[in-house]
Amino acid sequence: MITDPLYRQYLHLLLQGNRNGCARIVQQLLDQNIDIKALYTELFQKSLYRVGELWESNQISVAREHLVTAITEGLLNLVYPRLFEKERATPKKVVISCAANEFHQIGGKMAADIFELNGWDSHFLGANTPVEHMLEYIQEEKPDLVGLSVTVYCNMPALKAGLEAIKSDFKDLDVFVGGQAFNWGGRNLVKQSGARYIPSLDVLDTIITE
Amino acid sequence: MTQSKQQKVYDYLEKKSQILFFVLSPGGSIIEANGFARSMTGCLVHKTTFAELVVDFSGSFVFQELVQNPRGPHLLNISLSSGVPQSFYFDFEPVGTQILAFGMQDLDEIKTMQHQVLSLNQELNNAARSLHKKNAQLLQLNKEKNQFLGMAAHDLRKPIGLILTYSEFLLDEAAHVLDAEQQGFLTTINTASMFMKKLVDDFLDVSAIEAGRFDLDLHPVDIAAMLAHSLKINHLQASKKGIALQVETGKFHHPVVMDASRIEQAITNLVSNAIEHSRPGDTVIVRWFVRNGSFVFSVIDKGPGIVPTEMQKLFTPFGKTGTKKTGGEKSTGLGMMITHKIIKAHNGDLLADSIPGQGTTITFKIPIKA
Repeated sequence: MITDPLYRQYLHLLLQGNRNGCARIVQQLLDQNIDIKALYTELFQKSLYRVGELWESNQISVAREHLVTAITEGLLNLVYPRLFEKERATPKKVVISCAANEFHQIGGKMAADIFELNGWDSHFLGANTPVEHMLEYIQEEKPDLVGLSVTVYCNMPALKAGLEAIKSDFKDLDVFVGGQAFNWGGRNLVKQSGARYIPSLDVLDTIITE
Repeated sequence: MTQSKQQKVYDYLEKKSQILFFVLSPGGSIIEANGFARSMTGCLVHKTTFAELVVDFSGSFVFQELVQNPRGPHLLNISLSSGVPQSFYFDFEPVGTQILAFGMQDLDEIKTMQHQVLSLNQELNNAARSLHKKNAQLLQLNKEKNQFLGMAAHDLRKPIGLILTYSEFLLDEAAHVLDAEQQGFLTTINTASMFMKKLVDDFLDVSAIEAGRFDLDLHPVDIAAMLAHSLKINHLQASKKGIALQVETGKFHHPVVMDASRIEQAITNLVSNAIEHSRPGDTVIVRWFVRNGSFVFSVIDKGPGIVPTEMQKLFTPFGKTGTKKTGGEKSTGLGMMITHKIIKAHNGDLLADSIPGQGTTITFKIPIKA
């Protein structure tokens, strides 16, 4: 359903900062009853990764990259009425949080949405969540699973601190991590902590389904 | 700095830099402006004064003061050609008889604002996500509540029916062996169970409406016969209260396709309401006719009427208006909502017109299908 020309048109509008143009495309796809996972992976994730590459190769500025992220996050709101309409009998619960000091939240949020799409009750704590706040929330909600997201590599120490705190307070709780920061390293750190690294939304979806 | 370097710096300042740069006369006229200054402010060299570019709300800007105290930075709001003023930090450097003006934006300030706007946007989007999720949960809970309401009402119907039937039976058959007080108790049981039955029936209707299962059983109907049947109960109700029920019958003898029992329910509800809000001695007028392809039915009472601010509550569940029933009759608060749904399901309209102190006219109009 998301053809290459449509993707290119969307990416062009996104880079121009044309929020309304992007919203029209997403709404059209939703009206055509597009598979939500496909929308997430083939449009949102793909375009965000491309924008990341453009930034890394100095083809666009930080400000434009932020603008693109803000627009994409706003577009997720168009999807939510469909995402949450699914009935859940006794859903499993997942808490997803960004590492402390991590201000990029869209990846974690999309992961939370993929859980929701698979019938889970997802709780997304947002960007830059202090460790104490996250631990309190876990204590209160008693989730089946916790996910931590990290986008910027220099936030790895904060992620490590978060993983250690969770393992110390909730020994048997399953934890997974993901995010663009792992393109630069840090997977050993995850292995040592006993958490599981999930490289993409597609892999996450497959694991949840299994 | 060599002359060629100076030229390159000047060229950069003129063509590429994002600093506002002006060369000003002692009086404040713009003698030169770099490309950025010209494109941002739209100023015209030798025609615009620096003071004209400054947004001066208090009227306190005096260019000469800047000349006398050139050391900055001076925070000035500059009117841009886009129409949105922007703040620049200006330094003024006298060179001979001229003044060089350099205006820059504070990058730290912009960075802080950018960070705050992005954070606020994230918080707003997270709140929107939570709201969407809560909304979906509320819809699900409402659906479950309606299912529960429907089940409870359905299960209550039978025992209430038994109480009603046996209390009627005892009143009919055993009245001669009961004293007046015992008969009074039985009458109370009978009246209360009738109200309970009405309540349960209304709940079942509301449950079906909310679940989107309010189906019509459409058949050709003789309007006059249907009305005569449905008004029987209302005639009895009116005579008990000393109210005259005046029926003005239309002349239309062709069968009309409608759900007869639902339309009867709507008519009974509307006429009952009119009687309940009328005083003994009043007349309630029931009028029907067929005009322009529509069946039009009106009930007119001379009751206390409804104040305009309460009219909008009329067709909402439990949306009782402040108007009191003259005989203290009980109401489920669902009748008008159900009536409204019945008429809407027939693609019709239900309208209320009321003058406080003078009475109310309720009219429904449904397109007829022969």
